[in-house]
Amino acid sequence: MAEEKKGRAVATSTAASIPKFVRGNMSATLKAKEEGKKVAAAFIADGQDEIMRAMDIVPAWGESFSGVCAAKRDAEKYLQKAESDNFSRSLCTYATCNIGFDMMREELGGVAPEGAPWGGMARPDMMLGNGQLLCDPRFKWPQATQHYQQDVPVFVTNMYYPPWDPNGDHHEVEAIYVKYAADELRETVKFCEKITGKKMDYDRLAKTVELSDKTWDLFIDTYELRKNIPTPMDTGDAMNTMVPLTFNLGTQEAYDFYVSLKAELEQKIADGVGVANPEKFRVIWAAGLPSWFALGDFQYFNGKGVVFPVEVTYRGCEKIERLNLPKTNDPLEHIAWRWVRYWTHWYDAAKKRPGSTPKVERIIEYIEDYKCDGAVFHSAFSCRSWHAGIMQQAATLKKVYKDIPVLIMEGDIVDISSYNEADTHNRIDAFIETLAASKARKG
Amino acid sequence: MEYYAGVDIGSTMTKVVIMSDRIEASLIGPTGPEHRKLANRVMEEALGQARLSFDDLTYIVATGYGRINVPFADRQITEITCHAKGLQSLLPSVKTVIDIGGQDTKGIKILNGKVMNFVMNDKCAAGTGRFLEIIADSLGVPLNKIGEVSLAAEKIASISSTCTVFAEQEMISRLAAGEPIANLIAGIHDAVATRIASLVKKLNVEPDIAVTGGGAKNIGLVKALGSKFGRELLVPPEPLITGALGAALMGRDIYEKYAAEGQKPSRSRKKLEEATFFK
Repeated sequence: MAEEKKGRAVATSTAASIPKFVRGNMSATLKAKEEGKKVAAAFIADGQDEIMRAMDIVPAWGESFSGVCAAKRDAEKYLQKAESDNFSRSLCTYATCNIGFDMMREELGGVAPEGAPWGGMARPDMMLGNGQLLCDPRFKWPQATQHYQQDVPVFVTNMYYPPWDPNGDHHEVEAIYVKYAADELRETVKFCEKITGKKMDYDRLAKTVELSDKTWDLFIDTYELRKNIPTPMDTGDAMNTMVPLTFNLGTQEAYDFYVSLKAELEQKIADGVGVANPEKFRVIWAAGLPSWFALGDFQYFNGKGVVFPVEVTYRGCEKIERLNLPKTNDPLEHIAWRWVRYWTHWYDAAKKRPGSTPKVERIIEYIEDYKCDGAVFHSAFSCRSWHAGIMQQAATLKKVYKDIPVLIMEGDIVDISSYNEADTHNRIDAFIETLAASKARKG
Repeated sequence: MEYYAGVDIGSTMTKVVIMSDRIEASLIGPTGPEHRKLANRVMEEALGQARLSFDDLTYIVATGYGRINVPFADRQITEITCHAKGLQSLLPSVKTVIDIGGQDTKGIKILNGKVMNFVMNDKCAAGTGRFLEIIADSLGVPLNKIGEVSLAAEKIASISSTCTVFAEQEMISRLAAGEPIANLIAGIHDAVATRIASLVKKLNVEPDIAVTGGGAKNIGLVKALGSKFGRELLVPPEPLITGALGAALMGRDIYEKYAAEGQKPSRSRKKLEEATFFK
């Protein structure tokens, strides 16, 4: 066949250390007992990272565990276990995979079942849920898990930010949301103090928060290098390099990782090395968690000259100066302001464009900054909170911005039965042809 | 004279078009399991119809789900792009295409023969030709007759499920309850049309709207779809070959683009041999 010669995708070598991070986080939960540390079942992006790190509480990340199971294509047994106790497949499969694992571990008296990816995770001493606008299973997941681990105390906080209202001024009410969030974090500290029997060291917490802020800044400085043409790093890589920011925030290791990544990207730019050669089209991963069992699809794109220099997913931070945070000596209040402003700092831009929304405005900003030709959305059927509005986002983007080529991929984060490789690749091929037609029209 | 061939290997049917400045031959044959390896035979028959030999072909483009597995093709292009191209040559006023194939249904928005946007059904068979095939079989009506039969309906039976399995069960129980077959088939067409319309309306649909693929041969379905869009839908004379025709036209464009620069596109230097589905 006279197939076009495929360019080779180039991954960053820094990303090769990511499995160590993930495995390290999981094994830290297994070692915690002998080190006299408490383990908390925890959820990402909920403002509690620094509290745990400053109190030597080891986080057991359920989302990470389920993602690893999916990536190893070894989630089915846990999904089926949860299903056997009437947890529907249409629920969050991060949750059901993890709950299935927890059920098995309880049946074994708290020992991780044999064959669990990377040894599995330890039975937690506490569960820190966080009901918030981001993800509703964070209310229910810890409560459902507690059904099987009835002696493990659960503490669910509520972290909200002002909802989007194009006719309102969120600045008028944000201080109320910040006060509420800070109060919730104080209650979290009290809960953790009770479980660990130790008092919070607020100087240590302040230093941890300071390190997190530095990591946020460094992360953005690093990722903005991807604006370069050709881009030195793809979203396929970013789905790995997000790990230190997402799961190890407030640690020196996370900061150091981005120092290395930044140095590598700068070198690639200096050497003119891009992800795809030639780089034919640049597209944004505009929304949605990836199918962890099909990350190879990014290489499929790359092999056809399509690169993702930017993604909305897992870019869970912003340059601190862009958030214009009020000064405070209270590290918990600082976390609360950072939390609220992270979600609301696209509001003002969205108001300036009639019909736009903050989520769409964020996509537009990235399309402009990273010079993207099209947008890819992934609709994961089991993740309602993040994926329910994807079709609307795509439609709004086309309406208020411009009619750029859009691909909606369908699948799931963990449940491989949702996936059809031939169908997915067929859609990708058609999307690439649409990108070519669009570019040809523009000359 | 230059001759171009388009080979469209769909999930159900394999289509071949050979053209010069006009269509020299067009042929449709089943893809089905025992025929999958025989795309070359459909090509051979088409060549016979055109009174050409394989070496007479200047450029060959394969499209459809099986496009990657056609060893004698010079280039593979998706059916989305090929349908747009084929439709432009047949019905230039069309801006939205609904292609109802054996295992998937697509909506394609086109401008000057180029794809602007597209949508495809999810992995459910409802809304595809396969769904209609199963229902026709369960009612004992030949697939190619269900369109006509539905036109005799006195009313459109309300079908609550578009799940292939449950709809089949519902058909059988409604039939046992005395519902006329024509009403049931009209109900099925209505249910399928509703599903397809909700898919295609994700595109900013603009008229004219055309229907292609095997579903376009079902007059009852086309009528039901028309009611969902509030207008009559266009159907090309042979709706099954649109993709293959588009593939041949794409082949011509590729060849002529190179020729304009005094070059020739790279060829597969092929032989007419079996498609490699099972290798």
